[in-house]
Amino acid sequence: MKNTKVKVTNLKKNFGSNHVLKGIDFEVAQNEVVVLIGPSGSGKSTLLRCLNRLEDPTSGSVVIDGNDISDSKTNIDQARENIGMVFQHFNLFNNLTVGQNVELAPVELGKLSKSEAVTMAKKLLDTVGLDDKYDAMPQSLSGGQKQRVAIARALAMNPDIMLFDEPTSALDPEMVGDVLEVMKDLAKKGMTMVVVTHEMGFAKEVADRVVFMADGKVMEEGKPEEVFGNPQNERTKTFLQKVINV
Amino acid sequence: MKKIIALMSCVFGLFVFVNIYHEPQVNAAEKTYTIGTDVTFPPFVYANSDNKYVGIDMDLIRAIAKKEGFKAEIKPLGFNAAVQSLSSGQIDGVIAGMTITDERRQKFDFSTPYYKSGIVMAVAPKGDIKGLKDLKGKRVAVKTGTAGATYANSIKDRYGFKTVTFDDSDNVYNDVKNGNSAACFDDSAVLNYGVKTGLGLKIVTKPTDIGSYGFAVEKGKNKELMSKFNSGLKKLKANGEYAKIIEKYTGESATAAQKKNSTQANAEGHTFFGLIKQNRDSIIDGIFETIKLTVVSIICATIFGVLIGLLGVLPSKLARGTSTTIIYIFRGLPLLVLALFIYNGVPSLTGSKVPAFVAGIITLTLNEGAYTAAFVKGGIQAVDTGQMEAARSLGLPFGKSMRKVILPQGIKIMIPSFINQFIITLKDTSILSIIGILELTQTGKIIIARNLEGFKIWTIIALIYLIIITVLTLLSKWVERRIND
Ligand SMILES: Nc1ncnc2c1ncn2[C@@H]1O[C@H](COP(=O)(O)OP(=O)(O)OP(=O)(O)O)[C@@H](O)[C@H]1O
Ligand SMILES: [Mg+2]
Repeated sequence: MKNTKVKVTNLKKNFGSNHVLKGIDFEVAQNEVVVLIGPSGSGKSTLLRCLNRLEDPTSGSVVIDGNDISDSKTNIDQARENIGMVFQHFNLFNNLTVGQNVELAPVELGKLSKSEAVTMAKKLLDTVGLDDKYDAMPQSLSGGQKQRVAIARALAMNPDIMLFDEPTSALDPEMVGDVLEVMKDLAKKGMTMVVVTHEMGFAKEVADRVVFMADGKVMEEGKPEEVFGNPQNERTKTFLQKVINV
Repeated sequence: MKKIIALMSCVFGLFVFVNIYHEPQVNAAEKTYTIGTDVTFPPFVYANSDNKYVGIDMDLIRAIAKKEGFKAEIKPLGFNAAVQSLSSGQIDGVIAGMTITDERRQKFDFSTPYYKSGIVMAVAPKGDIKGLKDLKGKRVAVKTGTAGATYANSIKDRYGFKTVTFDDSDNVYNDVKNGNSAACFDDSAVLNYGVKTGLGLKIVTKPTDIGSYGFAVEKGKNKELMSKFNSGLKKLKANGEYAKIIEKYTGESATAAQKKNSTQANAEGHTFFGLIKQNRDSIIDGIFETIKLTVVSIICATIFGVLIGLLGVLPSKLARGTSTTIIYIFRGLPLLVLALFIYNGVPSLTGSKVPAFVAGIITLTLNEGAYTAAFVKGGIQAVDTGQMEAARSLGLPFGKSMRKVILPQGIKIMIPSFINQFIITLKDTSILSIIGILELTQTGKIIIARNLEGFKIWTIIALIYLIIITVLTLLSKWVERRIND
């Protein structure tokens, strides 16, 4: 068994009377790429946001690298430094340039000096194909460019794990490829990744494991070819039919 | 954070400065007493053309102070404000043609009477009102809190008239002259003097005997001041100085001269420029006081408002609740009530004086600050929640995320509200005239009390406000451009 990076045990999350996560058990090993799929409202985003405590779990535990994220005594800021997150709507800092977006956290948290941060930002922007946008404001970028900057920004803290919440679903179709390309490169370099996506092609090509969620529970999981080729659960079958027919 | 602390200490320094500045140094040998008086009540108290407060009361208190070796700091607050300030201990004494009545004796100690007066009724010279009987169904003008008002109210049912109350004597007289009211009631000495000096009213009744004027202190307090006043008055009466002062303001020659003066002033002062020239110094003082109030309260209200606004977006429930409560209270209270509460109410509870300027600043800081807090909170909440989530997900703590990401965006949203609030603050300083601060509006009231040129003076004052507001707006827009670049 490989090193366990993320271990979620009996995780429950309620929003008032709405029971969104109903006892999730879920693991991610080091260097593993896990793709989370499932119908809208099944709790995929909520699960992902519990992993870096953007949502406080109602009960259960989330342990990352031996740190109990769900424990209120854990220094959550420090834990988050090692967990990068990419959002559906990019959430680039609108008051800062592209370069400053990438440099902000490492400089503010004392990881890098200002000049080291500049070098690092330029290098990261180069790897996502945006070295010429260093001085641009986020508002002047296309959706695909924004999302690649957001990935660069998350990578600037040099995290061990990257969480992606539907990173391509707010993009025009012709932009999707560029972003997926960047993500594939990351996966190849051995980044541990949890990706919520409807891009089944990406899942088949890159995922080590696919997890299917419905109604706040994990219904089925396995290698992509197993889950896509020979789904066992009825819910998985109907879901995949719908997605593939679209 | 350092910047905020620096700014706070600056403001604190300013407060201290203002405090010292407004609390005259106490001379070891000469004790200083603050004496409240009316704004206009000739011949007892009024501002002459040099804007010096003169009249029987003023000359008396100054002469007595000299004889008895104390300093009298005169505060022309207006009769009503002066009496209220005395009962809340803000000032030491009042001399303002104040009739000694049993009701007033409950709250104040009075000196030996220094002038005997009565109430008379005055009407417009051309009207057909000849006595009390003609007042049936008519309106009668009186001044708040005066013996004239008490008298009018005591007989209004018998004669079937209604009373209307004004804060200043000139408003009372004007209301009669322009026919809104049929008559007015006031002290005979005052109305006699007015009629003789060309007020344009006619006295139609004999003085009722309602007693005499006295100098007042808070009941049971300031005994030393009271005994000094009484002994000084006795000396002045003995050496003839008292008679001279009375003659100076009520004798034929005095009133004739005053009448000539006021016609002369009318001749040259009819134009706007004439009025501005005559009152230049007091208008400039008023402008400076208004600007000083505006600047200090904008700074204090902004700091207070930003702090309370930030409290309202903290994760802690207690902090948010505190912020909401403070905003609710101070936005809900009318500014006028808040000003009177802080200036008159709080001192009568705690027994410690609050200088009018400081009370004014506190009032504006709380009220304008509450509005500021509300839009600061709103501005921050208007920033997309995704911005905070992205910052936090990178490991940035709440405070850093606030400062580096949320506030810079929120401030842009808030700037128009800030500019708006600055202008409102400037306008709201005018309300502080109620607690006797000599700012632009109060200055206008006093000038009008003297020359009765209501329309022209208010036009001038209005124009000055517009000019200051324009300058303030341009300044704010300039800052806005600098921030947005
Ligand atoms: N902050 C919140 N407050 C209240 N309810 C919430 C909140 N966030 C999510 N929910 C509810 O939780 C449920 C699951 O939401 P979640 O976003 O996790 O689903 P999802 O699987 O990501 O769906 P989608 O594919 O549409 O993104 C939904 O019913 C949603 O309304
Ligand atoms: Mg989602």
